[in-house]
Amino acid sequence: MGCEMLEREVKKVYLRELFGALAIYAVVLVAALHFGRAMPEGTVRTAVLLSPSLPFFLAVWAVARQVGRMDEYLRLSALQDIAIVCAVTAGWTFTYGFLENAGFPRLSMFTVWPVMGGTWLVVGALRCFRNR
Amino acid sequence: MKNVIRELREKRGWSQGDLADRLEVSRQTVNAIENERYDPSLPLAFALARLFEKPIEKLFSDK
Repeated sequence: MGCEMLEREVKKVYLRELFGALAIYAVVLVAALHFGRAMPEGTVRTAVLLSPSLPFFLAVWAVARQVGRMDEYLRLSALQDIAIVCAVTAGWTFTYGFLENAGFPRLSMFTVWPVMGGTWLVVGALRCFRNR
Repeated sequence: MKNVIRELREKRGWSQGDLADRLEVSRQTVNAIENERYDPSLPLAFALARLFEKPIEKLFSDK
């Protein structure tokens, strides 16, 4: 099998694993919110509402497997991308923290991931453009 | 680091994908090496030297 074909195959496996994990996550999330919110306060309710974190780790596992399949340049590029993404996210969260001190509305910690994911998409797109 | 990988590849009539196939790396890696945005590891440099049947110092130079 040629490498370009192999690359496509590797990407297909990665996307299957990643989106499979995210699909399980979505199902567990909906079920946890539906049943968990109606439950009485207590450890079981906390466990049920926390349960979407477990399938999320499947997505982390899919990403880790993909990193293991990358060649040396792609792995280095991914590391650089993640460093930029982390720096931008840190800059954004710190800046907004100072704005909260100035009276801006308090935001949930859930806002961190969309910032990180969005930055990752932009950095990834720029990388793809550069590697054409 | 400067290199003559593009020149050697084009002399053989290979695309970046063809060279990537032979080296078992991604096309992006070949592209980055040719554009001197990435210096390959020693094992990959040896693989290039073997493929083009030239010593490493003929492929790469720091001038």
